[in-house]
Amino acid sequence: MRKQRALFALVCLLLGAVSAGLLLGQRTREYKSDQFLMDTLVSIRVYGKDADKLREAVAAAYAEMHRIADLADGFPQPGTTAYRISDVCRINEQAGLKPVSADKDVIAMLTLAKKYHSLSEGAFDVTIGPVMDLWGFGRNDPQVPPPGRLGEALALVGSKDLVVNEREQTVFLRKAGMKLDLGAVAKGYATEKAIQALKRHGIEKALIDAGGNIRVLGKSRRDIPWRIGIKDPRKADALTAVLALEDSAAVTSGDYYRYFEAGGKRWHHILDPRTGYPAAENMSVTAVTADAGLADVLSTVFFVLKPEKALELAEKLEGVDLFLVADDGRILHTPGLRGRVEVKAGEGYRHDQGR
Amino acid sequence: MTRADRYLAAGILLIAILSVALFYYRSSLSSGKAASVGAVISAQGKIVRKIDLSPGGGKTTFLVSGRLGPATVEVEGKRVRMVDAPCPERICIKQGWIENPGESIVCVPGETVIHVEGAAPVDAVTR
Repeated sequence: MRKQRALFALVCLLLGAVSAGLLLGQRTREYKSDQFLMDTLVSIRVYGKDADKLREAVAAAYAEMHRIADLADGFPQPGTTAYRISDVCRINEQAGLKPVSADKDVIAMLTLAKKYHSLSEGAFDVTIGPVMDLWGFGRNDPQVPPPGRLGEALALVGSKDLVVNEREQTVFLRKAGMKLDLGAVAKGYATEKAIQALKRHGIEKALIDAGGNIRVLGKSRRDIPWRIGIKDPRKADALTAVLALEDSAAVTSGDYYRYFEAGGKRWHHILDPRTGYPAAENMSVTAVTADAGLADVLSTVFFVLKPEKALELAEKLEGVDLFLVADDGRILHTPGLRGRVEVKAGEGYRHDQGR
Repeated sequence: MTRADRYLAAGILLIAILSVALFYYRSSLSSGKAASVGAVISAQGKIVRKIDLSPGGGKTTFLVSGRLGPATVEVEGKRVRMVDAPCPERICIKQGWIENPGESIVCVPGETVIHVEGAAPVDAVTR
């Protein structure tokens, strides 16, 4: 009888302790915040125990993103404060005149851009500005440019005339009329800076969604890899695949998001810098790699290249993976994604398991 | 075991069971498995409207004042879409209907967001 009583008391005590532990400890909170920034909606989710610390971390992350956005903004009107604090505006203004001293983050973005300009043999070019202006994406009146004017603008595109001096921290566009467009770099680079800010504030689990550019830190709240869907390029509410990611970025470039219609054709906004026309090899490509800045650049590089070329380049780069839906409906990915991707190819797509 | 012992033991057991139940109830709430599906509409950083999305619901339209001016939102049963907005590229309108938890329509120039609430099958979508 005495033994039984002791056992009973012990069980009660244990149950009490376990339940108290469940209630008091392990209180992982989520803090979520949205901001319109860099021409998109940026959503940051962080997880941790202290609500104040989570808020501070997210504020610091947004501050970093705003700083990069201001440096890289190519759209402000001359004479405004936004124009004066934009390194990109000042570099463009001095094209053909003289080198301009620039922030170390602008130097880093341009160095990255130049590297992938040569690795992709010109399929990626941040000096695409004059051609982008001619098409007018994002304005009220986008249009297919007349071939003559397109030729003139294309003559001003070429990263070999973009001089980045890392020692002097200066940038120079050699020809008058040249123009930088950091649209394919800045958002990813800023996202990576935001992740670094979160880490400095002790955050170990986070997800940043910058208009569909995804960067995750650590594992998800349930301590399993984050599940990141890849949007179906032709069916609005469907997914082509789901990726299982931790400490990684996934950035997609597609032909379906930003476009206009003219002459019975769709014209999307990712231009091949070698032709000046929208790239037509792929419906969508998703670059997967640790750094969000690199993933952003690579998504544009891979989108412009032919599928086989893109896969070949991805396999050559260390720590880089690629998932793509080619223009003819083929779904292909690098071997590195095996076990991390669940393909949900719907009608109209072909997924060859062999690749 | 005296009578007082028994009461004490029963009390501790009851508290233990209740708190375990409460813990699981709360974690099921926070994982977002809410029964009713709805959408939240925000404009310029503020929540301006919450709507129910139920299969039997009729068709309604209403205006939301975005940064560039009023935008028209349409709800029909369990789905919602943007039918008119004063933005240049009209990306939000071209997107069409949304109805699944986790889906959003975002109008960047108008700073307007329509978000369907509930447990999404994925943590985020790259596009």
